[in-house]
Amino acid sequence: MTKYLDLSLIEINDLLKTKKIKPIDLVNEAFIRIEQNKDLNCFITLNKEEAVKKAMELENEEVDNVLFSIPIVIKDNIVTKDLRTTCASKMLDNFIPVYDATVIEKIKNKNMIIIGKTNMDEFAMGSSNQTSYYGPVLNPWNKSKVSGGSSGGSASAVSSRIVPFALGSDTGGSIRQPAAFTGVVGLKPTYGRVSRYGLVAFASSFDQIGPMTRNVFENALLLNAIVGHDEKDMTSSKKEVEDFTRLIGEDVHGMKIAIPNYYMSDTVNKEIKNRILYVIDLLKSKGVTFEYIDIDYIKYSVPLYQIIALAEASSNLARFDGVRYGYRTNNFNNLDELYKNTRAEGFGDEVKRNIMIGSYVLSGTNIKTYYDKALKMRKAISDSLDEILSKYDLIIGPTTTTTAYNLGEGQDDAVKSFLDDMLTIPANMAGLPSMSLPIGFDNDGMPIGMQIIGKKFDEALIYKLAAAVEKELNLDLDNKGGK
Amino acid sequence: MALIPTIGIEVHVELKTKSKVFSPSLNAYGEIANSKTNVSDLGYPGTLPTLNKKVIDLAIKACFATNCHITPKIYFDRKNYFYPDLSKGYQITQAATPIGYDGYIEIEVNGKVKKIGIERLHIEEDTSKSIHEGDSTLLDFNRAGVPLIEIVTKPVIESAEEAVLYLEKLREVLLYAGVSDVKIEEGSMRCDANVSLRESDSDVLGVKTEIKNIGSISSVKAAINYEIDHQKQMLEKGEKITVQTKRYDEKREMTILMRTKESNTDYRYFPEPDIPYIYIDEYWINDIKEQMPIMPDKLRGKYKTLSISDVAINALIAHKELTFFLEKVMDKKVNPVISANLLTGDVLMFLNKHNITIDETKLAVDNFASLVNLIDTGEISSKMGRELLSDLITDGGNVEELLKTKGMKLISDEETIKKLIEEVISDNVEVVNDYKNGNERAFKYLIGQAMKKSRGQANPKILNESLLRELNK
Repeated sequence: MTKYLDLSLIEINDLLKTKKIKPIDLVNEAFIRIEQNKDLNCFITLNKEEAVKKAMELENEEVDNVLFSIPIVIKDNIVTKDLRTTCASKMLDNFIPVYDATVIEKIKNKNMIIIGKTNMDEFAMGSSNQTSYYGPVLNPWNKSKVSGGSSGGSASAVSSRIVPFALGSDTGGSIRQPAAFTGVVGLKPTYGRVSRYGLVAFASSFDQIGPMTRNVFENALLLNAIVGHDEKDMTSSKKEVEDFTRLIGEDVHGMKIAIPNYYMSDTVNKEIKNRILYVIDLLKSKGVTFEYIDIDYIKYSVPLYQIIALAEASSNLARFDGVRYGYRTNNFNNLDELYKNTRAEGFGDEVKRNIMIGSYVLSGTNIKTYYDKALKMRKAISDSLDEILSKYDLIIGPTTTTTAYNLGEGQDDAVKSFLDDMLTIPANMAGLPSMSLPIGFDNDGMPIGMQIIGKKFDEALIYKLAAAVEKELNLDLDNKGGK
Repeated sequence: MALIPTIGIEVHVELKTKSKVFSPSLNAYGEIANSKTNVSDLGYPGTLPTLNKKVIDLAIKACFATNCHITPKIYFDRKNYFYPDLSKGYQITQAATPIGYDGYIEIEVNGKVKKIGIERLHIEEDTSKSIHEGDSTLLDFNRAGVPLIEIVTKPVIESAEEAVLYLEKLREVLLYAGVSDVKIEEGSMRCDANVSLRESDSDVLGVKTEIKNIGSISSVKAAINYEIDHQKQMLEKGEKITVQTKRYDEKREMTILMRTKESNTDYRYFPEPDIPYIYIDEYWINDIKEQMPIMPDKLRGKYKTLSISDVAINALIAHKELTFFLEKVMDKKVNPVISANLLTGDVLMFLNKHNITIDETKLAVDNFASLVNLIDTGEISSKMGRELLSDLITDGGNVEELLKTKGMKLISDEETIKKLIEEVISDNVEVVNDYKNGNERAFKYLIGQAMKKSRGQANPKILNESLLRELNK
């Protein structure tokens, strides 16, 4: 049994260039691994026929870039032309998009091969991948544990080494939290860095698509491929495209890093804290300096996020009404019933709960009581984070308060989901780039993630620090799942 | 106690852009259903709005035309509600930062100028069109995302007549500003009227009824008058008026209840997160200002001082292409009265007959100006002028050459004319006597006879002078 997909990207690229392997070898191997890891439930839809066809086409083409013919999986809230896109909801169970998201166009331009669409929390609402209409995703490190969410399928697919690359999306931590739970590198780019065109919107002012990969260098390579201004997304930035690998390998000596006290409170599991402290010590020995700091209002991030994000979500999900596409109830006699029954039958509980909260905070005078104030507070948090980052190169802390918990835990538990997101949400509130990097394991062998938050559009510096930590720790992150 | 009507008018106007406001689909009327639509207009998952800057340009023009102040920093809001014609489940509109505010339109009521205050002018997207067929409803998304501006007056209109004057004036300025076709029949202008009654000694407004989507300006008048009478009767009977939304049934000539208690609709407005703020700076505003054509009220004043008749002025203003043509003709320093009379006479008749605009004829500004000059200096008669004009409209060509080929030249030789006049005088002894007894019309009759004898070729100026001279001998 070949294991080309365990090789580094550069090695795979060499083999392709020297014609020692063909694109179809990679595709076949990915599908064998999918079969071996079926129980993880990473996928909603496989793209086998098209992937094989594409691999055959690429056989005679020049290997023109490092991502050429590399298998990739896509979170199922990113629309793919002619390939079913469900958002893990009954509402879109039959939905075949007629266009490609901008990131998909970019991936296709690099001749990457899309293997399938990954499982997720329904409409990206959830942090344990247990709200999916297609069932939960299991954690490859321990199949009785959750993968995290909402990009759980993408995280587990990379963690189990089915593919080296996945795209996820992050609204309040949906890339970083499952990345931490499954031991992969996940980056939420600066808001506006990656086009949102074709990402089914959850909360428009927070959502970002980002790369999920086995290691830091490959993460930067995938980010290189998906960034850039897009005329179809007015919130996408006009920043010049840059090479995000350019600082990788540079000496970290002299870097100044802030550790918010909020991130090291007693709410955070002790094993995780200790591991972070270990990494801090390691970096200190490399000449990095650290300071503990306070960030104004940061403790209000989660409730504020819930007001703003759910308000946006309640409006974004209004289009799923059974009129033009997606699920339509059979049970209606008039327009009102068409709407009510379609949405009652098509959406799951978590989505309904969120739509109700979002509608509530926008209703009548509530908009003044909740929404308008939350926007002001968001600005205040964002300003204080920017201020801290004007004095420090980066902010670090844990990604999560716990490691992956047991399946069945946390459902319908508001406090639990509060804790799941409390460390990741601040970066979304301020639109800052933020990565989760695997830094070790707890006593049960479950991965621990460290979060690195940078200034807006300063992803390159995050990669620099992350690569240094990765190199020093030299962890074995292959869980040997299904191999 | 007398009851005073208070009326507010809301007008939706479709902007004349090539593409839609938030998508690159074409903005076109009368196309095959759903042929001018894309994934964004259909509200497909993952799509995002992209703002057509041209819409802002036209909205700024509309602000100038309605004397509105311009908001320097604007954003869009989402208006959330469910309806099949609304593809995203929300309409992108402007709630908090209308691009224009605090403007006015001047109307003339009983010889006095009255300013109708405009509360706000904002940009929004149109919905798709529902076509009801039997039990089912079909949707045409060609209209979804067509740019609209909504113009809302303050509650200062006091009669149906004022409402009509306001709407006619608004239509006129928007047409001149070039922002819209403002065709009510095609739906590119739609009117809602809010009507309430209050006691004449009170400032407190009565409970209002909103009459939606009235189909023509004449229906606006009828609908408002009907509603005023209806409310008066109710109040006189001691009945209470509740907040209602109605429509006007043109066939039955009455307003009909659609729904009650508007206040129950909660649109949950909030800022549209997919579109960043738009900053309208001085440069942008000045750039648009330079493109603004001269507005009808200015033209009216100018034409009055040039002694153009009221009839001609009204006809000109009603046809903006004619005024633009006249403006260009007058740049050539020719007689404005003759120009205006020809344009609103023979030219307009021709245009109406063929249902075209002046730009679609072969009439060139240069030719027209030379023609006016020839008439003005008396080198040709106005009859000859009209004949030439008819040729110039249909075939174009050069005035001087046309004159030659037609052999048209005025008889200006005094001897020939004198002979003509002598003949006319001897043929019409009685009329000449009438003239001498003070009948002014007799003179005109004699001129007519002389002109007829010359087959229209006598120089009217010389003819006039000679006749006077001969008669006074």
